[in-house]
Amino acid sequence: MTAAPVALPEAPAPQGGLRRWLASPVGAQITAAVVFIGAWQLLTVIAPRVPGPAVVANFLFVEITGGPHGGIVRGQFFEHFAVTLQRFSLGLFFGFISGLLVGILIGSSSLARALLSDTVLVLLTMPAFVWAFLTTMWFGITWQAPVLTVAFSAFPFVAINVAQGVRAIAPELRNMSTAFEVGKWKQFRHLTVPAVAGYIFAGLRFAIIIGWNGILLSEWFSGQAGVGFRTRYWFDANRYRGFVGWVIVFIVFIVLVDRVILNRLQARAFRWRDQKEVDFIEIEEEQVGL
Amino acid sequence: MAQVVIKRLTKTFPPPTKGGDPVVAIGDISLEVEGNVFASIVGPSGCGKSTLLNILSGVETPTSGTVSVTESGRPAHLGYVFQDARLLPWRTVMDNMLYVRDDGEAGETRATRYLDMVGLSHTHDMFPGQLSGGMQQRVGIARAFSVEPDLLLMDEPFSHLDAITARSLRDHLQELWSATRKTVLFVTHDVVEAVQLSDRIIVLAPGGRIFDDITIDLPHPRRATDPKVATLQAEILGRFEEMHPAPAPA
Repeated sequence: MTAAPVALPEAPAPQGGLRRWLASPVGAQITAAVVFIGAWQLLTVIAPRVPGPAVVANFLFVEITGGPHGGIVRGQFFEHFAVTLQRFSLGLFFGFISGLLVGILIGSSSLARALLSDTVLVLLTMPAFVWAFLTTMWFGITWQAPVLTVAFSAFPFVAINVAQGVRAIAPELRNMSTAFEVGKWKQFRHLTVPAVAGYIFAGLRFAIIIGWNGILLSEWFSGQAGVGFRTRYWFDANRYRGFVGWVIVFIVFIVLVDRVILNRLQARAFRWRDQKEVDFIEIEEEQVGL
Repeated sequence: MAQVVIKRLTKTFPPPTKGGDPVVAIGDISLEVEGNVFASIVGPSGCGKSTLLNILSGVETPTSGTVSVTESGRPAHLGYVFQDARLLPWRTVMDNMLYVRDDGEAGETRATRYLDMVGLSHTHDMFPGQLSGGMQQRVGIARAFSVEPDLLLMDEPFSHLDAITARSLRDHLQELWSATRKTVLFVTHDVVEAVQLSDRIIVLAPGGRIFDDITIDLPHPRRATDPKVATLQAEILGRFEEMHPAPAPA
């Protein structure tokens, strides 16, 4: 007996090309950027003191390639940027490592949790500008002030996230490791770190954003070089195109770090989640002998 | 030859609610298991079967009494198969095998051998999430055998699987056990499973005390459908009814 043919409903017509492109990640990002620049341009019409995108782009070109404005010479842009990057990396390193250690301690020991979690919470509520003020008061106009501002701002975000991650590790996996007498260091490398990886990335993201804000403020108050110093230089000179230009440099750096470095690291750390499922039914049947 | 000696063991957990009574998981058990024997611990839920294995493996500590697990006078090397596979999801099957015992090339050879024995030679580079529940549990069994333990502890390893997969894994287990003849302590609430697999069945009653200790003298491997196995199953289920009498028909 043959089955009667069944009329299938017609497949929906494919969406328009433009609509599909707008819905794609790249399309959405480009659209958002265009809308932002358009809104910015519109703002310059309403408020003439706001420098427009073209003026700021021209400023940045001259600032980067070296030109007559502000007495800056070729290459100083990169010098200022390198100074900030150096301080930022050092501060982030100390903030991240200490946050990681304290987070693991709080997550794995109830005594450490009782002793330290309130302190970390207090540090978490401290805005970056408070650290920028305090470190400038303590260390004056030195390299330590911006480095410590970054470290203090980053530390609690890493610690809190890592502590949450350690507490979320499945006790079943811990018990399995104990039952098989797996060494502590091996457990740390193969169980704790991968289990906490998601929390580490979340903490690191916050740490980078807050730390980068912190260094701008610290260099604004106490720097004699760096991105923050240069931003203030143009602000004091009443040249808003310079101020806005450096703020854009500041934002672009963070976006690039997030998209290029963190996203790739995260994809690598979580590649086990993205593996395609295997058609194991066929394999199972073969094994079971069905 | 592993030797398990349990003397006057008790385990009590704190009351689950404030002001309540402590929960007695194990109440004064003394027991000895030795030799290349497959011993099952059978009993209803909450009679302390899993707690007993956790104490033997060092995951839990006893409230009172002593346990000793030795092999020729030294502390015995243990393997453990859990109710669920408990694999590290971020490590491949081979890395999971090596996580519990990595002694270089020898470890890899051994892991490969046991994965082959459970029919998973094609999964070395796969992550656990790519495998079915039954396949993951087979990795768990291969992992426990691959540490070449003196004593193998198995805690209801097939209770989360469907009947067909569980039946297949029981056969795999019998083949592995026949090939290695390890001392096994196998916890289950399934009498049928216990009779098919075991040389000895220790029946625990609620309150964590030993109700019965039965020797099964049938050759391995056994099929669940074998009439001798079925007769024994019926007989032991009958003894179970003494512990939990069925309500009289109205």
